[in-house]
Amino acid sequence: MKLTRDGWTGLACLVASLVLFGFTIGLRDNPLVPIGPGFYPRIVLGISAFLAGWVLVQSLLLPAPAGKGGENYRLVAGVFAIFFAYVGAMPFLGFRIATLLFMAALQSTLEPPRGTKGWVIVAVTAILTTVICYYLFEGYLLVLLPRGRWTDF
Amino acid sequence: MYELLLAGIENLLHLKYFVPLAIGTFIGVVGGALPGITNTMTVIMVLPFTFGLEPLQGLSAMIGVYIGGESGGLITSCLLGIPGKPSSVATMFDGYPMSRKGEPGRALWLGIWASFFGGLLGGIFLVGTTGPLASLALAFGPWEYFSLFIFALSMVAGLTGASIAKGLLSGAIGLVITIIGNDPVMGQPRLTLGIGWLEGGIPFLPVLIGVFAFAQIMGDVEKMGRSSSDPAAELVIPKLVVSHAKVIWEILSRPVMLLWTSFVGVLIGVLPAIGGSAANVMAYDQAKKFSRHPERFGTGTPEGIIASEAANNSNVGGSLVTIMAFGIPGDAVTAVMLGALTIHGIQPGPLFISQEPKLAYGIFAAYLLGHFIMIAIMLVGVRWFLRIVLVPKSILFPVILVLCVVGAFALNNTMANVYVLVLCGLLGYGMVKGGLPLAPLILGVILGDQIEINLVRSLMTDDNLWLFFTRPISGLLLFLSVASVVFALWQHSRAQKKGAVPEEDGADF
Repeated sequence: MKLTRDGWTGLACLVASLVLFGFTIGLRDNPLVPIGPGFYPRIVLGISAFLAGWVLVQSLLLPAPAGKGGENYRLVAGVFAIFFAYVGAMPFLGFRIATLLFMAALQSTLEPPRGTKGWVIVAVTAILTTVICYYLFEGYLLVLLPRGRWTDF
Repeated sequence: MYELLLAGIENLLHLKYFVPLAIGTFIGVVGGALPGITNTMTVIMVLPFTFGLEPLQGLSAMIGVYIGGESGGLITSCLLGIPGKPSSVATMFDGYPMSRKGEPGRALWLGIWASFFGGLLGGIFLVGTTGPLASLALAFGPWEYFSLFIFALSMVAGLTGASIAKGLLSGAIGLVITIIGNDPVMGQPRLTLGIGWLEGGIPFLPVLIGVFAFAQIMGDVEKMGRSSSDPAAELVIPKLVVSHAKVIWEILSRPVMLLWTSFVGVLIGVLPAIGGSAANVMAYDQAKKFSRHPERFGTGTPEGIIASEAANNSNVGGSLVTIMAFGIPGDAVTAVMLGALTIHGIQPGPLFISQEPKLAYGIFAAYLLGHFIMIAIMLVGVRWFLRIVLVPKSILFPVILVLCVVGAFALNNTMANVYVLVLCGLLGYGMVKGGLPLAPLILGVILGDQIEINLVRSLMTDDNLWLFFTRPISGLLLFLSVASVVFALWQHSRAQKKGAVPEEDGADF
């Protein structure tokens, strides 16, 4: 039997709920408190496991919803990868350098620049966003943005 | 009450508060006019800018965004046939045909003035009912609070999406997120997997930002490079000159419809997570049902525009009532406001009006004044807002993501919240692709801690579980919770028999 999208969703949530439920078994009760730390999580995870099972069973009984198709998942994966790299690099490069690179990389990925004008727009947008964000938040709104461990900038 | 409201309005007229309100309204109109950018996204972008402001300044800006956004969406709906956001879809049904018939100014201003009057009617409801509802909630003990939050969650899970099971599962995932971290009684770490920064728990704002920003942006990214229509290529700014007196009379000469559709909007606003888009469509449907000429709907009839726009603005008033009286957000925008309040150490709920009267009446005043500012902004710049569709998403999305990162980081100046943002971005996108609605998840994350605390508190007071059912208000709320799930199941099975399964995730969260 082939699982549908909902079937996979239900199965993933069921597995996650059961695994997390397993972790709550190790939580030790305190004799001073009538309700232990695992009491509420077990209820919640029990309910979520039941509901995930319900979704799974429902998906097996009902016809699969038709997918729309034509989604550009390669671009989605690219955007996620650039964003992960941005967040991962920020503690090392600092907000300003990481943001500048992120803005340039993501703009170029979403819409590859055409000619010199296109690259100028990418560069100007990246610089302006970084500079405005930095001065607005650090100078005016008193939010200390991350400095880079490698760059100290 | 009215003295406090007048004092609130007077206070709001000081530049210190008026400027954030005006800027917020302007940004809201701009965000509303941008197809694909919802009010939630706009308010998320504004959020980090409010951290350094006083609570009332920040909330004024957010209320401005909310009002401006609800009204801004109608610009592209009426003039280009592209809804600026989900809550202006029904406005397009008659606004665009009217524009095509050569009356773009009339279509646009009918919508703007209807938004204004609908918004003010929502304001009257907001001012008049928040206090009494909060007084009612003061009689609540932990049993009643627990049952109230369960009711809110069950209602949202039941009313969103195509499947009640998936709605409830989404809510349960939200609750699971809240059990990660130290337990509220003894502070023992739970499900942290040894990760230090998870011990403090997961704050809901990075969750909300991550889930919504990525679900929405990635949804648009999926379609990039696929669409052949370029709004910029066909953009012609029409003449929008109109007699305002005539347009206002057109609206006010239909008082019953205006009142009824505004009431529909308010009522939907009060229900958690059933926001502007449902109000917009339901009010349109109501206006059509009660019209003497339902056949004219969809061809450019003014009733269609007035009903849908009055409802989506009055809806804002309803959403604010639930957050101010009960501390339960009516939709995602008020959820962000709730987060902004908690950052400043303010807890909305029944005691909010009595403990923070200046802030509460400041919110009322901002809501009322925001509508006048919206009209002024529209009068000056409506022609130019149409050009907003020219802003490429390849520029917009990176800027939004940077602001999301800053917003998450600035919550307590730590990268941990940014990591939560990233994980929740993946979760949100994964849930959308898995067909799970986002509204119950967010409400689960917001209410999860309170559900646990009130459950523990009630059981530590008295371990008799029957008290949840035998205390009248608590019992009634639990009965309503079950009824809402049963109703949703019945509704869904009826829809299936008819062969019409509702769309997934139709809520405004």
